[in-house]
Amino acid sequence: MKKKTQWWRLPIAILICVVFLSPLYILVSVAFRSPADLSSYWSLPSEFHIENFVSAISEGKILKSIANSAIITVGSVLILVVAGSLAAYPLARKKTRFNAGVNSFILGIMMVPPLSILVSLYSVLVDLKGINSYWGLILTLVTFELPLAIFLYTNFIKSLPKALDEAAAIDGCGPIRTFFQIILPQLMPVTASVVILTGVHCWNDYQFSLYIMQNSNLRTVPLAIASYFSQTTSNVNAAAAAALLAILPPVLAFLFLQKYFIKGMVDSAIK
Amino acid sequence: MKKNSLQNRLRQSQMNLFYIPALVLFSVFVIYPFIKGIFISTTNWNGYSQNYKSVGIKNYLRLFTDKNVRTALINTLIYGFGSTLIQNALGLALALFLNEKFRGRSVLRAIIYMPVMIAPLIMGYIMYFLFSYNRGALNDIVMLFGGEAVDWMANGPRAVMLMTLVNALQFVGISMVIYLAGLQNIPAMYYEAAALDGVKPFAQFRYITLPLLHPAVTSAVTVNLIGGLKLYDIISALTSGGPGYASHSLSTLVHRTYFGAENAGYASAIGLFTFLLIMVISSIVTRILAAKEVEVS
Amino acid sequence: MKKILCLLLALVMVMGMFAACGDTDETPATNAPVSDETKAADDATEAQVGSNSDVVLTFMTNVVGEKATALEAAIRDFEAETGYTVEFSAPGDSYEELMKTKMASNELPDVFTTHGWSVARYSEYLMPVNDMDFASRISDQIKPVITDAEGNMYVLPIDIDIAGMVYNVDVLESCGINVDDLTTWEAFADACAVIEAAGIDPMHIGGKDTWTIGQFFDWVAPSFYVTDEANSKAADLKAGTFDTAVWTELCQMLYDWTEAGYFNTDVLTADYSSDIEALATGTTAFCFYGNYAISDAMVVNADANLGMMPIPSNSADDEPTLIAGEDIAIGIWKDTAYSAEAQELLEYLARPEVCAKIAEAAGNAAGLTDVTVDLGVIQTYLDKYNTVETFAYFDREYLPSGMWDVMCSTGAEILALNSGSVEDAASVMEQSFMDKYVG
Repeated sequence: MKKKTQWWRLPIAILICVVFLSPLYILVSVAFRSPADLSSYWSLPSEFHIENFVSAISEGKILKSIANSAIITVGSVLILVVAGSLAAYPLARKKTRFNAGVNSFILGIMMVPPLSILVSLYSVLVDLKGINSYWGLILTLVTFELPLAIFLYTNFIKSLPKALDEAAAIDGCGPIRTFFQIILPQLMPVTASVVILTGVHCWNDYQFSLYIMQNSNLRTVPLAIASYFSQTTSNVNAAAAAALLAILPPVLAFLFLQKYFIKGMVDSAIK
Repeated sequence: MKKNSLQNRLRQSQMNLFYIPALVLFSVFVIYPFIKGIFISTTNWNGYSQNYKSVGIKNYLRLFTDKNVRTALINTLIYGFGSTLIQNALGLALALFLNEKFRGRSVLRAIIYMPVMIAPLIMGYIMYFLFSYNRGALNDIVMLFGGEAVDWMANGPRAVMLMTLVNALQFVGISMVIYLAGLQNIPAMYYEAAALDGVKPFAQFRYITLPLLHPAVTSAVTVNLIGGLKLYDIISALTSGGPGYASHSLSTLVHRTYFGAENAGYASAIGLFTFLLIMVISSIVTRILAAKEVEVS
Repeated sequence: MKKILCLLLALVMVMGMFAACGDTDETPATNAPVSDETKAADDATEAQVGSNSDVVLTFMTNVVGEKATALEAAIRDFEAETGYTVEFSAPGDSYEELMKTKMASNELPDVFTTHGWSVARYSEYLMPVNDMDFASRISDQIKPVITDAEGNMYVLPIDIDIAGMVYNVDVLESCGINVDDLTTWEAFADACAVIEAAGIDPMHIGGKDTWTIGQFFDWVAPSFYVTDEANSKAADLKAGTFDTAVWTELCQMLYDWTEAGYFNTDVLTADYSSDIEALATGTTAFCFYGNYAISDAMVVNADANLGMMPIPSNSADDEPTLIAGEDIAIGIWKDTAYSAEAQELLEYLARPEVCAKIAEAAGNAAGLTDVTVDLGVIQTYLDKYNTVETFAYFDREYLPSGMWDVMCSTGAEILALNSGSVEDAASVMEQSFMDKYVG
């Protein structure tokens, strides 16, 4: 009986592997291929052409951009966790008209294509001297990721028993103390998924970084890749090598932290 | 009683303080630029010059007769709802498949989730290696089976479908994980009881699994819809909205109108229209989902 | 408790950031803010040279590839000589968009390149160069292109872009075609038929990049509108009249050629690099690019045998022509905080040996009279055609700004062979021309 139900899983598993791994395989295959090797991307490269990576690192400044992305991602996520959980608490706990309004407003912002307000946003940043600065990009990213963080936190806090707050209130705790001492420690699982989801978005952001980080020393990963793809017209392979290097940090982070990743999502998504 | 309500009101107003960081950010980076955008949308500004004049609501009138806007609007809805549909159906199927215990399932979960980590822009570049006419990996397979090479992205509607599929497959991992979580929250005893009563597996799925998954559906639909309606990076890497205007979403169209056609006033009008449209869609969808949720619980 | 500590720390960080932006406010308004990290990285060089080290010029350019490498090398030498810091940035494709956002907020780089638009788009933001030392050495060939109605010039023209059709010599020879016979579009189309019959794509356009489609119109439109003196519509265009019938005719030609299979099959989805690859490997005969395409194709295939010919005319009564325009042209933002230093940079780049190196990378003759450039194979073609009449880039000279994108997108509809696309293209062009024309 047990054996019988097993066999059909194999073809499905293989299909999943083929569909989800072939893009990565193609990327690896192009990245290691010499520009002169014109055989199909499916075939293994005739030789491992490491020069692609050398030029990606030296010309494309990939390593510097990885460092920039790391600073921006960590900075953004820290602020997101604080501002997001703070705003979510009253939203989850109070059922007033005002809050319902705030809630749909936040959902709305989550869905705005940022481009629709790009130029006025840009001039605001110019006035604040935020162009070509880490904090300018960080605060912008935080603003546009904040709705997602608030959404996740609100859902989670709603699932926490109200009795917690009420007990705290009876003990004479004000809402600020209640939040920091009672609620916040309960938020670890959802914080994991906020960090994961928004962190990936910040790492991968292209549109905002493009306008805010114009100095080539401040380029983030997607910027470095985009400009490398548009500049090396004759060497797609080096561009692919750059792309491969660029996706390594998040993919490796995911593979090592997989357990927490998926657990964080599982713990928080539904409650 | 009176004292209580006073205290209560004090609590309430103190709790409003919690909004401050978020509100400051939203005002500076969203609301203020948004209002400025309304002003721009009533001008013929070209996006950079210091000279422009007011044109009233002309840009809005033009919006309703512009066939490029219509195409982009339809495409945006396909990107949004198409992705959502695929991601939820496939995500649920994958979750059901991977919820059972067998060897290698955690590896498969990881494989499915991994593309989520890749920047959509880079995914777009990778897909270009697959879909291009010359040397494209997909055409290599087509030709291996004796078919004729296809210029995949040359046909607008086909390009839209393919990019919807790419977006859906890249992010199906998120829905899968949400549904896995949902499945694990369903107590096993429900199934045990149903099995004892002789309920068939399909009926179990229909009457136990689906209703109890409802909160998961809400999360997954919201997240997917947002991603799909805002689709930008993949389009810009794969087709730049082409051929012509055939595969533009409203986001890429705004960008193109603003910077390419140098029509900032009109682009702002399209942008605001997009904003309102998405607001309406999202509120309708969340309302429907919320209503169903109440029924279930 | 630990978590609360973490949060407090985060809050302190946020405060720190706001404090930091307070600090930057105190720097002069025109000075683009520089992060501490970049400053720290430059400390080593700064230490040696004293007060000049405080000067930080921003330099942005649209050029990429070999040209950008040569330009950056020259700028690094300038840094070493003066002790200034120059932040060099070459964002590639997104340059125009960035510049538009910068103009919108009146916050431009101190020094930047103008990609053909020094007069029409950027002159209101640029400092005239008429009184600078190099101005007297600007070549007469480029002077009219970079001079505005008041007689002001705004840029240092490093090189002059002289462009015709680039072609693969071997392909034409194998098909028995003599380029000197291709003086009209009719003769050109006949040649295409021969090449097509030989199983080679006569022309290659990588339409995914869209600008590649605009190139076609820039190359062909002058012969329909302005090169024939007897029928020139130049004055009309400048006065705000767009002859839609002529544009329809031009679009019909593109449609017919597409239908006849004169373009690559993947004309809508290929990109610029595939154009170059096709040109270099002899799978196509002609491309609508400047001489940079020859330099780029040589990188792909060093043995490629490539040439350049004048652009055919639209009638037997007219002569073939070439396009002349700005290529790498560098101007100074009029509100820069470092006016003197920026001028120093321009004078440095105008030095014959420096200018020659950059022009060589561009594959063009220099824009200054006393500079000779080693152009290799391209030189023979420039010499061969040095008496051919030149015209400006059509969209820059005769169309209002913002029309380029209209040409690109309507062209794509035609290449897709959509029904009615020819008429649509013409009417959309007319409409946009009227909307954007500023008297």
